[in-house]
Amino acid sequence: MHSRKKTKAIKMTTTYVILIISLLWTIFPLYWMVKSSFTIDKEMYVARPKLFDIAFTAEHYVDLIVNAKFMVNLGNSLMIAAITTIFGLTVSVFASYAMTRLKYPGRKFFSSTVIISYLLPTAVLFIPMYIFVSKLGLGGTKWAMLVIYPTFVVPYCCYMLRSYFTAIPYALEEAALIDGCTRLQSLRHIIVPIALPGIAVTATFAFTMSWNEYLYAMIMTTSMKEMTATVAISSWKYGDIINWGRIMAGCVVASLPVTIIYIVAQSMLVSGKADGSVK
Amino acid sequence: MKRIESQTVKDKRLGLVLMIPIVLVIFIIMGIPLVRAIYWSFTDKVVGSDAHFIGLKNYMGLFQDKVYWKSLKNTVIYTGGCILAKLLLGLLWAVLLNQDFKGKGFFRTALLIPWALPGMVVAMTWRWMYDSTYGIINSLLLSSGLVEMPVAWLSNPKIVLYSAMIVNIWRGVPFFMFSILGVLQTLDKQVYEAATVDGAGIFKQFWYITLPSISPVLKVTTLLSTIWTFNDFENVWLVTGGGPLYASSVIATYTYDKAFIQNSLGQALSVATSVIPILIVMMLIFSYFNKKEQ
Repeated sequence: MHSRKKTKAIKMTTTYVILIISLLWTIFPLYWMVKSSFTIDKEMYVARPKLFDIAFTAEHYVDLIVNAKFMVNLGNSLMIAAITTIFGLTVSVFASYAMTRLKYPGRKFFSSTVIISYLLPTAVLFIPMYIFVSKLGLGGTKWAMLVIYPTFVVPYCCYMLRSYFTAIPYALEEAALIDGCTRLQSLRHIIVPIALPGIAVTATFAFTMSWNEYLYAMIMTTSMKEMTATVAISSWKYGDIINWGRIMAGCVVASLPVTIIYIVAQSMLVSGKADGSVK
Repeated sequence: MKRIESQTVKDKRLGLVLMIPIVLVIFIIMGIPLVRAIYWSFTDKVVGSDAHFIGLKNYMGLFQDKVYWKSLKNTVIYTGGCILAKLLLGLLWAVLLNQDFKGKGFFRTALLIPWALPGMVVAMTWRWMYDSTYGIINSLLLSSGLVEMPVAWLSNPKIVLYSAMIVNIWRGVPFFMFSILGVLQTLDKQVYEAATVDGAGIFKQFWYITLPSISPVLKVTTLLSTIWTFNDFENVWLVTGGGPLYASSVIATYTYDKAFIQNSLGQALSVATSVIPILIVMMLIFSYFNKKEQ
C-alpha cells in the first residue's frame, strides 16, 4: 500500500512539472505580446530587452484607434464574420437535415462533396477566386469576403452539424411525423432544440474561422478602410521598418473576442452540453 | 400505403430543395474557380490578359525549377516535422490532463488558447520575439549564456524553416490535445483500475487500453492537420516570407510568389496544381477513416 502511494506521488509530481513547463511555453508569447503592446518605443528597441522591466504606456493603443483607425477594420471583421456565420449556419442546418434524414437521389455524392470541399486548399483556389470576385465587380472591397468565406464556412458547418444530427435518435422524430408534423416542423421543433448546444459551438468556431482568415482578405483588399483586422495589422510596416508597438497592440485587440468565445465554447464542450446526444 | 409513398416523394423533393444553397456554394463559387485553376495551369495566363493554351510547358518548367523542388522538399519537412511534434505533444498533454488533480480546468483552458488566436497574431508575435537585435529570445539565450552570439532565427537559411515550424507547432498542439482528450474522457475508468489490480503498469495500460481506443480519432485528427499544415500559407509567409532567398519557401508561399510578385498566374497555378494528387490521396484516406469512425 505504501509503495502505491509513493508511485502516485511521483506520478502527480511529474504531471505538474510537465504541465507547468507546457504552461510557460504557451503563456510566454502571449505575455510578450501584451507586454510589448504597453511598452514605450524607447524601451522596445534596445538590444537585450529585459524580461520584466516595463516603462508602461498606453500610447500604442491610442495610436491604434486614433491614427490607424483600427475600429474601422474591427468593424469590417465583425460584419463579415457575423454575416458569414449566420448565412453558413442557416444553409447548413437545412442541408445537414437533408443529408441525415431525407432520402433523395445523389445524397451520398453530396455528402462526400461536402467533405472534399472542406479539405480543398486555399492555395489552389485563391488565384481563380481573386479573378472571379474581380469580375463580379467586388475586387478590392470587403464585400468580396461575403462571397468567398462561405466556401470554407459552409462545408465546415455541414461537417460538424451532420455528426450532431446523426446522434439524435430517429424515434424522437418518428412520433411527431406520425402525428402529422411536416418535415420542416420536426426540424424546427425537435432537431434544432436538441442540437442547439452543438449548433452554438459550431457557430462560435465558424465565427472564429472568418475572424481569423488572412490569405483571401490580404489578396482581395488594398485600401486601409476595406481591410479586415488581420490584414490591417500585418500591413503596418514601411519597407523594413515595422511598427511593432502598434502591431502588438492590434494583435491583443484582435485576439480578445475570439479567445473569449473559445473559452466559453470549450467549457460547453467539456461539460458535455454539446456532445449532441440525447441522454 | 399511399400516404407513405407520397411521403417519400415529398422527402425527395424537400431534400433536393434544401441542398440548393450548398450546391450553389460548392459547385459554383468553389467548383468553377477550381476547374479554371486547373485549366489555367496549362496556359500562359498573366494578370489582366487572356490565357493561351501552352500544353505542359508550365509543368516542364517546374521540373527544371530548383526553387520548386526546394519548396516541395521544405513542404514535406515542414508538414512531417510539425505533425510529429504536434501529435506527440498533444497526446502527452491529453493523457496528463485526463487525470484527476487540482487546477486541471485551468491548465486545460490555458493550454488551449494558442489554437483560438488568429494565425496572423501568432506569426507576428513570434516574428517579433525572433528579431535578431531586439528580440526577447536572443536576449534570454545571451543572458543565460546558452549562446555567445545572437542567433539569426529568420536570416540564417539553415535554420529559418525550423523557426517557422516552431510557430506552427506552438499553435497546433492544442488541436491535437483537445481532440484526443475528448475521447479519453469517455473511456471507462474501471478498465484502468482492473488493469492496475492485474499488475499492468502505466506504459502497458497506455499501449493496450488507451492507444487502441483513441486510434480512430488519432487518425482523423492527424490527417486533418496534415492537410492544413501541408497547405499552410500565412504562418510561413508572415514569419519568414519564404526567405531568405527561398530558404523557407513552401508550395503555398511559392504559389503566391509566382502569382503576385512574379505576376505569372499560369505558372503559379501549375505549382499549386502539381500537389493536388498528393492531396487527393490524403483526402481519400481521410474520408475512409472518417466514415469508419462514424
